[in-house]
Amino acid sequence: MRLITHNMLSCNIKGVTNGFPLKIEAEKVIEKEVDFNPDFLRHMFAKIEWKALVEAARSMGYAELPEDSPDAAAIDSADETFLRKLHHALLELHLEEGALVCPETGRKFPVNKATFWTHIDSVDQSGGSASMWTT
Amino acid sequence: MKATLAPPSSLISLPRHKVSSLRSPSLLLQSQRPSSALMTTTATRGSVAVTAAATSSAEALREGIAEFYNETSGLWEEIWGDHMHHGFYDPDSSVQLSDSGHREAQIRMIEESLRFAGVTEEEKKIKRVVDVGCGIGGSSRYIASKFGAECIGITLSPVQAKRANDLAAAQSLSHKVSFQVADALDQPFEDGIFDLVWSMESGEHMPDKAKFVKELVRVTAPGGRIIIVTWCHRNLSQGEESLQPWEQNLLDRICKTFYLPAWCSTSDYVELLQSLSLQDIKCADWSENVAPFWPAVIRTALTWKGLVSLLRSGMKSIKGALTMPLMIEGYKKGVIKFGIITCQKPL
Repeated sequence: MRLITHNMLSCNIKGVTNGFPLKIEAEKVIEKEVDFNPDFLRHMFAKIEWKALVEAARSMGYAELPEDSPDAAAIDSADETFLRKLHHALLELHLEEGALVCPETGRKFPVNKATFWTHIDSVDQSGGSASMWTT
Repeated sequence: MKATLAPPSSLISLPRHKVSSLRSPSLLLQSQRPSSALMTTTATRGSVAVTAAATSSAEALREGIAEFYNETSGLWEEIWGDHMHHGFYDPDSSVQLSDSGHREAQIRMIEESLRFAGVTEEEKKIKRVVDVGCGIGGSSRYIASKFGAECIGITLSPVQAKRANDLAAAQSLSHKVSFQVADALDQPFEDGIFDLVWSMESGEHMPDKAKFVKELVRVTAPGGRIIIVTWCHRNLSQGEESLQPWEQNLLDRICKTFYLPAWCSTSDYVELLQSLSLQDIKCADWSENVAPFWPAVIRTALTWKGLVSLLRSGMKSIKGALTMPLMIEGYKKGVIKFGIITCQKPL
């Protein structure tokens, strides 16, 4: 799973008011090179939850992103160094094995590559449903 | 284009009828199917208490849908390619199209839907898209490429999710497009993050239309658009409480094979969106524009390649193929409609 996907995910077990962002417990992280596309990054930038991305990247072993994100307006003139860091964190880091953890309940969602089957709980103890993630 | 278009930028005034028609219990799947883990347990015990082992009907439906698409997706892709939806045709086009003609029609369906929703004029605003009921990802990859946007597709079928991700990788789109197994009625996403919420022929599978629409609305960003393209039954007339028994019977037979739990009408969707305060709600009946589709699918099924593939694929595919004439009957008799409903979430 890439961090661009993680940035969208939220735990939606019944009763959870703030299931975002999911914490990452990384067991196996790999890097897959992706062509650098600054236009795509600029286009997407406004949608990114920055703090969530910084923390997620850190849990995957990448601490190069600045704590504070540049202004959405400033992104057009942002230098290549910054965009390359963003590119790397967002698109090139993969969580191959580990878990995503609900920040409120501690419920864990396994992430693994071995099978692409993900199990959907219809009813869990907390009375809601939740999904697990594939890479 | 001769599709009947509703007046734009206004709420459509439609015959009113009870919203409760959406969730008639008689429309739910009759057969309860146990999860495979429970199946193994009962088999080893030599017991055939299958119904007793079944979990909730919602879970049974999800599993049925997943298994149906696990089994039939490969076959569909082999014959029709990566778009698992109707083509859009000019009505009265009597020319028999080639395979590539039908594939073009499927692309045209995407384009016409985007145009109808008013998305094409607002391309720059589309940064993040969700494809609800994504199949093997044809729409997702197309839309992500078209808008340079990020797209995530969800499906109940692990076979489809894997195939969709593989195709994205093969087309060097993995950084923009990804696919996950997830439930459309319980989407694992933050509120309000998608500029475009796309449901192309997946609404038919949702047992609870109200919940389905609520989830679509929840994940739409303020100012974002929702596009629902789906099979519906005809709108009910004033004073009509439900479809005629023969109509219901026809739909029930189709439901069983295709894992469709319930049919509703286009106006049911419009009412749901109205109740959730969406704006710029538009709908249209595109039944005339999809008329050539099922006959074309049947023709491909009856080719030598089609028949061999069907037999290899399994019972679900065969049953699916045998049910296709019922779809044609439904359209011809005005029971089944192909509808598009679009709207915008207020800022």
